Amino acid sequence: MTISKVQHAVSVLWPSFLLASAATVVLFTVFDPQAIAACMGIEHLERTAAYTVGFFVLWTMNLASSMLTLYFQRPVHVPVIVEPRDLDLD
Amino acid sequence: MTAPNASEPAGTFYVKPAKIYPREAHGRFARLRVFAVLALLGLYYLTPWLDWGGRQAVLFDLPARKFYILGLAFWPQDFFFLALLLIIAAFSLFFFTALAGRLWCGYACPQTVWTETFMWIERWVEGDRGARMKLDKAPWDARKLRLKAGKHALWLLFAAWTGFTFVGFFTPIRELGVRLAGFALGPWELFWIVFYSFATWGNAGFMREQVCLYMCPYARFQSAMFDKNTLVISYDAERGEPRGSRKRGVDPRTRGLGDCIDCTLCVQVCPTGIDIRNGLQYQCIGCAACVDACDEVMDKIGSPRGLVRYTTENALLHHQPHVIRPRMLVYAALLLALTGGLVYAISVRTPLQLDVIRDRNALYRMTDDGLAENVYTLKILNMDEHPHRFALAVHGAPGMRLDAAADAIAVAAGEVLTLPVRVSADPQDLPAASSDIRFELRALDTPDLRTATTGRFLGPARR
Repeated sequence: MTISKVQHAVSVLWPSFLLASAATVVLFTVFDPQAIAACMGIEHLERTAAYTVGFFVLWTMNLASSMLTLYFQRPVHVPVIVEPRDLDLD
Repeated sequence: MTAPNASEPAGTFYVKPAKIYPREAHGRFARLRVFAVLALLGLYYLTPWLDWGGRQAVLFDLPARKFYILGLAFWPQDFFFLALLLIIAAFSLFFFTALAGRLWCGYACPQTVWTETFMWIERWVEGDRGARMKLDKAPWDARKLRLKAGKHALWLLFAAWTGFTFVGFFTPIRELGVRLAGFALGPWELFWIVFYSFATWGNAGFMREQVCLYMCPYARFQSAMFDKNTLVISYDAERGEPRGSRKRGVDPRTRGLGDCIDCTLCVQVCPTGIDIRNGLQYQCIGCAACVDACDEVMDKIGSPRGLVRYTTENALLHHQPHVIRPRMLVYAALLLALTGGLVYAISVRTPLQLDVIRDRNALYRMTDDGLAENVYTLKILNMDEHPHRFALAVHGAPGMRLDAAADAIAVAAGEVLTLPVRVSADPQDLPAASSDIRFELRALDTPDLRTATTGRFLGPARR
């Protein structure tokens, strides 16, 4: 089963984008980046910057996952089956 | 429905999709789409400029972590409402898909709406279908360069306005406009304006139907919501076949022909480049451009309209169509229940939250008076748009005492107040070593504004 190049690229880029968007919303609804930054001793952190960086980090991670899925879908070599036979080594 | 179109070469390596030049369709459904596009674009571009009570009416203020929708202010704690809203949106989609097919795709999807607008610009600059195809084949000269540059300039301008509006939903748009005019945009604002503009330009200018074919999850699973009574766009093969050209005024029946004159206009107007006469295909976004095109032709040759029309599988098979069926009732009931639930939940929503955190350093302390004392940190979150004064009370063991000045706690609008409190009780009165303690908070100025949270009170083990 072969698919077009566009579909190939889309099948990696797009699902990772969609899930990264959803994950960004959930992640930053639960965790306030400024509160986390304060715990880590960072004084000034723009929330917009954290949201943006967070989104792209998530997209990159999802991208890697999608690419691995695609990679592991490639057919592997079927091992050659050798009939065992008796050997007299002496 | 789920099988790929027969015209798609199967097993070919890397099919390069041919560029589609949709011909302009005129008619009832084209007018309906223009109306939908203008209404939706108007909603998108104008909403951020509307004010409500001195601030932007719809503002998803991400930097401040607050969503404003008309008179309501939502906090991250209100995530439940967003989740409920998304579920309602999903069920609406199911309901309308089962009822009338891909209405969403044909008239309301942002991909359709912006592609339509970009095609208007394209048609205005480059001309109709024939002129566009000729221009693309022509060698690069001054005229072609001028037309292409003009088209992209207009596209980019429109895309930039779209990106600006998008960011205007998340940060106050008037201030954003001032910063844009003064070249003083923040780096992240600028980034998202450019990113969204680029995405609009790419999706509506270039990707177009490929978004529907390759990227849209809904396009792939919508057929699961179809049944024999779902409204779909279909070619009436019984009436149309055998197709073939004929001279004007010739009765097709005398030539053994159907009503289809094989003019291929239905294929030319199709934005996804399919032939509706091959039957229902997943590429069909239900835009009804082919219905309009065919109706126009039928009018010209004096045949009744509707050779390609909105119909149902049952109607085509001359079976009794059913609009009201169990699937519709279930979707409608769920939709009504969820919407009612959301409206009710928002109407009874208390814009006040009280969190109780027990001091983790000590379980309890015995005072000089022989009382068990627990220390708590209270977080009072006033999500209302007005400041309030609150009274705090504790309920647990009899004679439980609160030591803080708890009769007039002032909390500003949108403030989170951290309040350390000590609670003491006589160990004799405690029902157990660990018992419930209820903190009650009520606004002094608004009797309805009250909340309560239960925590644990620890004391010495009883002998």
